[in-house]
Amino acid sequence: MFAKKHKSFNFIDRSVYVFSLIISLLIIAPIFGVILGNISVDNEYFKFFSQTELVRYTKNSLFILISVLFITFFLGTFSAYLVSFYEFPFVNFFKYSLLLSFAIPPYIFGYTLSGFFENYGTFYSILNYFLDEKIINSILPNLGPFLGSIISLSLTLFGYVFILTRSSFLNQSKNLIEVGKNLGFTTFDIFFKIILPSARPAIFIGLSLVGMETLADFGTVSFFGLSTFTTGIYNSWFIFDDLKTANVLSFLLLFFILTLFVLESFFRKNMKFHNSTSSLKRKNEKINLKGTKRILAFLFCFTIFFISFLFPLFQMLFWSFTFPNSFDFLEIISINFNSMKLIFFASTVIIFLSFFVNFGTRVLKSNVLSFFSNLSIAGYAIPGIVISVAIITFFSLIDNLLHLSIKSYFIGSLAGLIFGYVIRFYSISFNTIKTVYLKINKTIDDSALLLGFDKLKILKKIHFPLLKSHFVFAFILISIEIIKELPITLILRPFNFETFSTKAFNMASNDLIEAAAVPSLFIILWSSLLIILSIKFFLIDKK
Amino acid sequence: MKNFFDVKNVTFSSSSDHKLIDVTFNIKNPGDIVSILGPSGVGKTTILRTIAGLEKIYKGEIWLNNSLISSKDFFIEPEKRGIALSFQDNSLFPHLNVYQNLIIGEKRKSKIKRKIKLDECIELFQLESLLKKFPHEISAGEAQRASLVRSLLSNPSLLLLDEPFSNVDIGLKEKLQVNLKNLLKENKISTIIVTHNYEEAFYFGGKCCLFSKNKLIQFDNPYNIYHFPASQDVANFFNKGAFLNAKVISDNELEHNILGVIKGKFVRKFKKGDIVKLLVQPEDLIHSDKSNLKFKIIDKRFLGTNFIYFLKVSAKEILPVLVHSHHIHQHTINEYFGVKTPIIIKHLVCF
Repeated sequence: MFAKKHKSFNFIDRSVYVFSLIISLLIIAPIFGVILGNISVDNEYFKFFSQTELVRYTKNSLFILISVLFITFFLGTFSAYLVSFYEFPFVNFFKYSLLLSFAIPPYIFGYTLSGFFENYGTFYSILNYFLDEKIINSILPNLGPFLGSIISLSLTLFGYVFILTRSSFLNQSKNLIEVGKNLGFTTFDIFFKIILPSARPAIFIGLSLVGMETLADFGTVSFFGLSTFTTGIYNSWFIFDDLKTANVLSFLLLFFILTLFVLESFFRKNMKFHNSTSSLKRKNEKINLKGTKRILAFLFCFTIFFISFLFPLFQMLFWSFTFPNSFDFLEIISINFNSMKLIFFASTVIIFLSFFVNFGTRVLKSNVLSFFSNLSIAGYAIPGIVISVAIITFFSLIDNLLHLSIKSYFIGSLAGLIFGYVIRFYSISFNTIKTVYLKINKTIDDSALLLGFDKLKILKKIHFPLLKSHFVFAFILISIEIIKELPITLILRPFNFETFSTKAFNMASNDLIEAAAVPSLFIILWSSLLIILSIKFFLIDKK
Repeated sequence: MKNFFDVKNVTFSSSSDHKLIDVTFNIKNPGDIVSILGPSGVGKTTILRTIAGLEKIYKGEIWLNNSLISSKDFFIEPEKRGIALSFQDNSLFPHLNVYQNLIIGEKRKSKIKRKIKLDECIELFQLESLLKKFPHEISAGEAQRASLVRSLLSNPSLLLLDEPFSNVDIGLKEKLQVNLKNLLKENKISTIIVTHNYEEAFYFGGKCCLFSKNKLIQFDNPYNIYHFPASQDVANFFNKGAFLNAKVISDNELEHNILGVIKGKFVRKFKKGDIVKLLVQPEDLIHSDKSNLKFKIIDKRFLGTNFIYFLKVSAKEILPVLVHSHHIHQHTINEYFGVKTPIIIKHLVCF
């Protein structure tokens, strides 16, 4: 593009361009591998496959998806509505504490739910103090695999809808409730005719993210023994050693997820027009709830907070203390060390790469670079299990084409695992940095150039100081994800290399839920700590 | 002798909406100031950005100090041009305080040795109380002043100013304009200043470029631009005068069907019998209560030192007439207002 136009493109510019392009291409390459791998799949095979397993996978995945979307919509928007517009006891606490649901991976919620309600489980033990065994058996709910998965996913993912809807409510320029009342609307009308439609893009973005996470989930559906796309991929690859089926399933799952991804991008663009940037924005005066409504609002938020966060936390604490021998102290130290190692290396690589590409895209103003860097953030939409399959396919492909054996360096090694994390979590850091970059006026760069700074000096003296605190934020966000991450770690990790998530999954898969408590507890504690840090230093608002 | 700075047949464009075609102007000697004048959105800022090297050109050439700096095939990076641009909007580095922002460009190597002092600039542009503040803590006008000083201190061979006082309070503006002009002249800093305010352009610029509708419509000194506009567009830009249809009746006379004979010297030559559009500026007609040529006042504007009365000559012709505000008596709207005859206009500007 530019090389033709400007013969004087200098060495620094050229190097930045080439490296930025290589990084972006490398991140999307494995995904293209999956797509290309499917071109060679013969029709006969696909026909057979589509008549048998595929129908079941699709049905199950869609049923779970729709149910989870429905529940998260209700929980997320209603809690956001309450904490944004009303005053009731502990409302400021709920504003942030509901985000702690992000600390619980859906599969750990699944273990909690299953262990709590199973025969002779925690719920049984509690009731046993008061009731007779026969009565208990008659009232003990029988959680099927669908209900279990749906509840686990909904209560751990509603946070996406909550946080986006709330920020949309905060951005509204006037007190919508006041305006509605002025027009003679009832509270019911105000909610459905004004508040909900005004936050529609934000709600849809939240739901798209929930949808992507639901389709990408492996740990929960696998624990409850459901056949969905992700478990299908895992089983065909891990158990039947059938990479072809894994590839076809990955391709189809990608198709579903990318539809959601496109929808999400569409709504995100749309949201700009809904958010008022008027300087007349003023602080919303919250409405003070009275009487029963005050108690109900409190109870609603508290129940969600309790079930989504305290319930799994207490259950894991309970099991950890009741079965203290299920875990070795040295092993805990070693797993903590493993997790830290992964977080440190992966985050550093991800932040460095995404900063560099952001910088290149900004200063070189190249359309090609901008296109590929935007494409490379699609990684967050792609399920970990697909990324794992993609990486394996990609390195097999390279080995076959070039007659090399680099596959062994990337499969079952830390390098491969970190590469997987880079693809999956690159967008978190990329978007965090991009958001800050968008806020920095372009004339700042121009001024620096005109004061005689070259591009690398701008990077060092202007951009780095402006962005550095946000690198910490990106580091925290990536860390939360890495601690919770399951499928990539499970598939790409070195032999005998354990993290809390793999340990918990293996224990739970072997029906040793109580033994999964300690690693699960560590996941919850680490994630909660990081979420609290990010709230304290980055997310707190004045309202 | 070659000019210090030359723009030769350049097409400036930042997008298809902002395009200026085939522009040619220059700065003759080092230390001269040229103003760029034109309506909003015409592409004035694009010209500055292009000269600074932030935009590229695909037609024409730009020369500075006998060196080519931009053409279709040649381009010197902005950081190597030695040209400073003070932006209209806040371009201070947000992580540095005002003082740090001012000195950041000082270290630039420059062939030109000048003695612009930091302390002097701080005083001239009244930045003393702002030095420790960060860009988000100061007003837009204060940021503009700081940005201007930063550009000055970077010791450029060519200084570009984009609406340097657009956000500064009117009271302070005139004082700062004087300070800036003196500083530029004393230190012989060649400058191009962009503004949409013609008074500012005329004050600073030894020469002015006037742009309208994708073109440079006149490049001349301020007096000529105002009194000898090259086209109706130029005259319209100042929006002060009015056009009357008149007939050329001799080498130094015109005839208007209501005003009668108008005498003066034609700026351009016309044949006897030509129908022309005569530009009448507010200062061209003289008020006289004794005159028999009277018109109804339809509007009146007080400008402090002057009044401008708007007289209805015919259904489509309204003439402005300037009267000193200390004039012995005032007229009100709907009254009749006398115009001295015979009408003599020094320069007859006709199109």
